[in-house]
Amino acid sequence: MLGNIFSSLFKLSFLLTVLRMATPILFASIAAFVTASAGVANIAVESIMTFGALAGILGSYATGNVWAGVAIGLVVGAGTALLIAFFSMRLGADPILIGIALNTFADSLSIFFLYLATGEKGTSASLLTPTLGSVDIPGIKSIPVLGEILSGQYILTYVCWFLLIVLFIMIYKTPLGMRMRACGLNADAAKTAGINVGRIRVFSLVLSGLFAALGGMYLSLNSIHLFSKGMVSGLGWMGIAANGIANGSYGMLLLSALLFAVFRGISIVFSQSAVFPVDLVRAVPYFAVFFFLTISSIISYLRIKSGKVEEQ
Amino acid sequence: MTDRSEKKLNLSITNPTVFEAVKMIIALLIAFVIMFGVLCLISDNPVHAFVTILTGPFAKRRYFGAVIESFIPYAFAGLAAGILFKSGAFNLGAEGIYIISGVAVAAVACTAVTTSHFLHPILCILAAAAVGGVLMIIPSFLKAKFGTNEMVVSLMLNSIYSGIAMHLIRKYLLTKTTSTIGSRDYLKTAKIGYIFEPLRISPCLVLLIVCTIILYLVMYKTRLGYQIRLAGANPKFAEYSGISAFKLSIATAAIAGILAGTGSACQLLTQSSFYQPDKTAVGIGFSGMLLAMLGRNNPIGIVIASFLIKYLEQGANVLYFSDTSVPSEITAIIEGIVILLISSQYFLRGLREKKLLQEGLGKNAR
Repeated sequence: MLGNIFSSLFKLSFLLTVLRMATPILFASIAAFVTASAGVANIAVESIMTFGALAGILGSYATGNVWAGVAIGLVVGAGTALLIAFFSMRLGADPILIGIALNTFADSLSIFFLYLATGEKGTSASLLTPTLGSVDIPGIKSIPVLGEILSGQYILTYVCWFLLIVLFIMIYKTPLGMRMRACGLNADAAKTAGINVGRIRVFSLVLSGLFAALGGMYLSLNSIHLFSKGMVSGLGWMGIAANGIANGSYGMLLLSALLFAVFRGISIVFSQSAVFPVDLVRAVPYFAVFFFLTISSIISYLRIKSGKVEEQ
Repeated sequence: MTDRSEKKLNLSITNPTVFEAVKMIIALLIAFVIMFGVLCLISDNPVHAFVTILTGPFAKRRYFGAVIESFIPYAFAGLAAGILFKSGAFNLGAEGIYIISGVAVAAVACTAVTTSHFLHPILCILAAAAVGGVLMIIPSFLKAKFGTNEMVVSLMLNSIYSGIAMHLIRKYLLTKTTSTIGSRDYLKTAKIGYIFEPLRISPCLVLLIVCTIILYLVMYKTRLGYQIRLAGANPKFAEYSGISAFKLSIATAAIAGILAGTGSACQLLTQSSFYQPDKTAVGIGFSGMLLAMLGRNNPIGIVIASFLIKYLEQGANVLYFSDTSVPSEITAIIEGIVILLISSQYFLRGLREKKLLQEGLGKNAR
């Protein structure tokens, strides 16, 4: 019995599960990363994902077109990010407090709008909406193992992979990205060099909002095509944790996000068998984040203590 | 030393306290105007809806009693979050503490540890406070020692505690009668009764008032409180003045955990007869953070804010009985707008600065 479970972790289907689990975490990770690299913390990723997920569903229901829904979700994501930017930069509110407040409101606010649209407070199941679905790539599909991985994924998964590459190029290979990183490293120096720090940061926040909204819509507009209360369930925070572990390294960011996805996959596989207590198995991904984040901070603490790295 | 008798009572907007109060009132007014606007959009009878939300709890005595009873656990969560925020710690662990302390409460409440109606609830509260005080330290310890992101850690712990609580209840205390995951019924001796039944005033209210006063005195009249506030306002300065940030953050987290555990016990022993980890105390810890922001991290402000928010929520519930077009979550709009506005440093700052400038110029002219 136990052997069966563990052997199922080494099958192709498990890899596919992990890839499916990874996409929203990857979106959340780049949402956290892009603002952190410009020197602002967007801890509202979780709430923007919730708003994006709901706006995508309601938008595609209202317009009857799933792409219009995606557009509306993106607008809501960017709008929330602009709201954070307005209150933290123009009105001098603490961005962390604003983020905590938004995250805490996300649930009741989304239920409010869900109720107005459907008359229900749990899910949007009563709304029949078109879905985004998946894409088969003709040539690649017939390649044995690789075909199953590269073809037949959800559209938003391809969007995610594409954005990962574009973001890398933007941050590390373009003048704009260099300016963003300059704002993150030393805002005063960046200002002296003639960079409009405020504008760069607003730009990074909006990008972050767009990424987070896409992550949210990945949850609501794909196969299950419904919004349910609490569906984001900490994925946004996993992105923020991945960004914390990465500490500015893009490769580490993606690795941590994938690592968290593996534990989400393990949690799903294990919860299908009755061997382990189901309540504890469900907490495994959160424990993994807790564990790896703590370990990574202990490692950097020891490195600073032994004098290998200077404290920032 | 300034001579207090020479200080005149300054009621103009230049006084920071008055300014805060004015800001709060204007933020509330803006929020009510926006709420009315929203009601106009979604309700057929917006005026009635608006009036019901504001006066609904007075319609029946038990509505008002429900406000008095239900705001207590939220106020405790607000106090817990408030002391953490005031010390500059973004430990969001109260939610998890409420859920895991609930297991301790349920375990003690389901066991015949004593036959005394007086002692049994006290033991429950002590168990919850102990569990809360210890577990709340984890994120703050990791932050103070290794610099771990306490927000993420505490949120992950919330989910982990929720899983552990479900597991413990399912394994050791599961009731055989209901289909949901819930503990056995508490023993009769564990229930907290009422001091004044018509308004549902329970000993928990007394406990809350006592805790609030103690917390206020600790925060504003003792060395520890001064250090906590200093560390929150300017951590570098606190460090250079020889305050141990490590000890301070542990002490703060322990106090917050004890408050959260106590609040959890109050919630369980007054609002439920058995414990459901995914239902009974869910969401209170998170709401507490908003209440702390509304009360500007001041213990008395937090208790007032908790009461007002619960009052509005009850009003929205009363409205929902007659007009189902308005979901009771509408109060979240008021909360959100007020929090965003009052936590904005620059909101209305121009008004105060103008006045300050005028006064300054006036003095020079003389």
